Amino acid sequence: MNAISRPWNRLTLAGKVILPLLFLLAAMTLLLLVGVALGPIPYLADLAYDTVVANLGIVRFVGSVTAILLFTVPTAFIIIYLEMKVIALMNMRLGPNRVGPWGTLQSTVHGFKVLGKEDFTPTGADVPVFTLAPAVVYLAVVMAFLVLPFAPGLVGADMNIGLLYFFAVGSLGVVGLMMAGWSSFNKYSLLGGLRAAAQIVSYEIPLTLAVVGVVLLAGTFSLNSIVLEQNGSFLDWYAFRQPLGFLIFFIAAAAEGARTPFDLTEADSEIVAGPMTEYSGMRYGFFYFAEYVNVFLLSALTVVLFLGGWNAPFDLGGLLAQVGLTVDPTLAPGQLGIGLLFGVALVPPIVILAIALPIWAFRSDVAFWKALVIGFLLFNVLAVGALMLWATASFEAVEGLIWFFAKTYVFVVVFVWMRATLPRVRVDQLMGFAWKWLLPAALVNLFVTAAAIVVVTQIQG
Amino acid sequence: MTTEPKTRIRSLDDPLLMVDTPATIYDAIPPYPPRTEREAEFYALREGEMLVNLGPQHPSTHGVLRVVLKIDGERVVDLDPVLGYLHRGVEKICENSDWHMVVSHCDPLEYIASMFSELVPVMAAEQLLDVRVPRRAEYIRVLACELNRISSHALFMGWLALDLGGLTPILYGFIERDEIVEMLAALTGQKLLFNYMRIGGVNGDLNHEFLSRLGDWMAHAGQRIEDSQTLINENEIFVKRTKGLGVVDRETALRMCLSGPPLRATGIPYDVRRAHPYSVYPELEFEIPTREEGDSYARYLLHLDEIKQSIHIIDQVLHKMPDGPITAKLPRLLRPRPGRAFAAIESPRGHYAVYAMSDGSDQPFRLRIHDPSYFNLQTVGLLTPGHLVADTMAIMASLDPIMGGVDK
Repeated sequence: MNAISRPWNRLTLAGKVILPLLFLLAAMTLLLLVGVALGPIPYLADLAYDTVVANLGIVRFVGSVTAILLFTVPTAFIIIYLEMKVIALMNMRLGPNRVGPWGTLQSTVHGFKVLGKEDFTPTGADVPVFTLAPAVVYLAVVMAFLVLPFAPGLVGADMNIGLLYFFAVGSLGVVGLMMAGWSSFNKYSLLGGLRAAAQIVSYEIPLTLAVVGVVLLAGTFSLNSIVLEQNGSFLDWYAFRQPLGFLIFFIAAAAEGARTPFDLTEADSEIVAGPMTEYSGMRYGFFYFAEYVNVFLLSALTVVLFLGGWNAPFDLGGLLAQVGLTVDPTLAPGQLGIGLLFGVALVPPIVILAIALPIWAFRSDVAFWKALVIGFLLFNVLAVGALMLWATASFEAVEGLIWFFAKTYVFVVVFVWMRATLPRVRVDQLMGFAWKWLLPAALVNLFVTAAAIVVVTQIQG
Repeated sequence: MTTEPKTRIRSLDDPLLMVDTPATIYDAIPPYPPRTEREAEFYALREGEMLVNLGPQHPSTHGVLRVVLKIDGERVVDLDPVLGYLHRGVEKICENSDWHMVVSHCDPLEYIASMFSELVPVMAAEQLLDVRVPRRAEYIRVLACELNRISSHALFMGWLALDLGGLTPILYGFIERDEIVEMLAALTGQKLLFNYMRIGGVNGDLNHEFLSRLGDWMAHAGQRIEDSQTLINENEIFVKRTKGLGVVDRETALRMCLSGPPLRATGIPYDVRRAHPYSVYPELEFEIPTREEGDSYARYLLHLDEIKQSIHIIDQVLHKMPDGPITAKLPRLLRPRPGRAFAAIESPRGHYAVYAMSDGSDQPFRLRIHDPSYFNLQTVGLLTPGHLVADTMAIMASLDPIMGGVDK
């Protein structure tokens, strides 16, 4: 006993994790070999394949849910970094500049830091509710992604009630905030939770009413169809036919996402951090993830509804195709034979050396290995750039994705810009603004749109 | 109503208390029976009311002020400021230290503008010693003080915006403050607590680095402060949140012993620099900006006006700066005549005064410090009830208290 336990005790924590995993890996490899040799593995694989084919709908759903869950994490990281850096530049500071190039890995490090923190539950908290609240907030945001059309054919589920689903699921987040505020046993949390409920429920109304104009024009609730309706030149985007609706929607979206100047739910100078006051560790991280993913989500919805989604303002893919960047459909890589091997094996080192040698030769302070690293990185950038150009020219989905993200991040930056510039409104001003100004304006927008549609259809015939 | 405590008063650290009442120790209610009528009334809650602890650790209380808010929903019904978390007994410490050491002890009182809090005891000691301060030293004092006033005001305007949720103005305020702090560091060797004033003069003469930094800064100062404030001056949200908020009328202002910008924002042109002139201010030309409204927005704008006046003063001081010694000749150990002295100056927060008594020994017999932050802060109790929780911050920030001076 002692002979085993002593070396085990000498291992570090990482060792204690890795060593059993190594044994497990060895055992599984052995099992796999035996299984393939004796037959059950191919049989099971066939069975699994048949099951997948038989339940393609479910598999597609699970696949898209997984993809979206995985997609939210880098999105949140990017937006957190963007916010830190952009606000810093607007404040005339440097912002994050230590971790990674230009501090780009700062939000990743923040993520790991949050993961490593103690998960603390305060005395007197309602433990099950307190534990569930971050999950509810996060899932509400993530589930709303399901109906968002990213590119032609790239949509989680093209529901015919997509927009209704979006608002229904998206506003579930307020339930989580209420749960957090109520269960934390903290008066600041309570105030924050109630503020969140009042604010988000109030702004839901102008938000949805502003969208009804778009729905009337498009004649559908499906987000994918709304994007397809805006096909053509950029003058067909609904922002030009619904300018008032666009404005109302954007303002209400800022309030819905609890962004400055409507960030009353987490007003740090008043109620410390609102519903998140008592949270620590990754639970707190979930709230933040949800917030930043929500920023992306609302920007994306603005783009989908009013700015043509993945529709291009001008035909970039066609332009690139004319230059000759499309793939030749007759060309199969296998035809190149040994040339393919030489190309893959020789082109990268040659290009890397071609970049590295001048740097090494003309910059005396750069060591050769550093020049090689720089060359490698630059080559990668070039290769990815070339690949992206080629993909943009060849595939409609890639081009759509690029336009979609470009437009969305414009709005994300606008949200960040607002945060850097504006102070916070007061709670009574917030409510007054929603009910006295936004709601009547949204109703006017709705009536004018409906009347215009009736008149136009009468005239046409 | 004074009720005798029936049981022994339990400390909050008492482990038994934690066991008996596991959750309520976080309440704002003090763990002893009410000591005064006011306390009994305040801590008795009606239906729907709630006590919230604002501080001593809270993002927007500017130090360690604790305010117990009695709120009904979001509306503040009443509030009870609890002071003393930063009490160090400076006045008592001063009684046990040499006259020269008094300067360093008074230094951190108004730590945002410590030139002022060290100037006052120095002036009181000079009155007791009947010493004439050289004119160059007086001019240097005015120069340093006005610079410090600008840095303090620039920071105030950022703070107010920060408490209203604006992230950027505070950093623009810090741009000015950084430059001024670097300047004063070149002059005094310190960045926050300068220890620059000496009884009978100042610690060091103007040097090249200070003057070159000052020249650089003066070239663009006024314009840049005004530019950076355009971010919030006419911002609709900012104006709507501060206009008509925390209005003080003249009678209340005088009754509550307000001074400095909060007083001048009500229209009373009281400025110690003109009302009870000291140093070389009678020789300098400047206006006392006032506003009529008396609300938070007026207080904010007044700070901007005062910055312009301060820049004007610095301009004149640099033109009129005489040559000569920077300290009076004094013995190393000071033994002022027995007697009393009163010195008052206009600090960025108002009427800052020291009343000193000497018994002829080398230590002050009594040193009473009148800090304007304390008197400005006491209006919070009048202004806040009826407003929302968010407005409490705006009102407190617009009064600009420095807790170092309030708690002493």
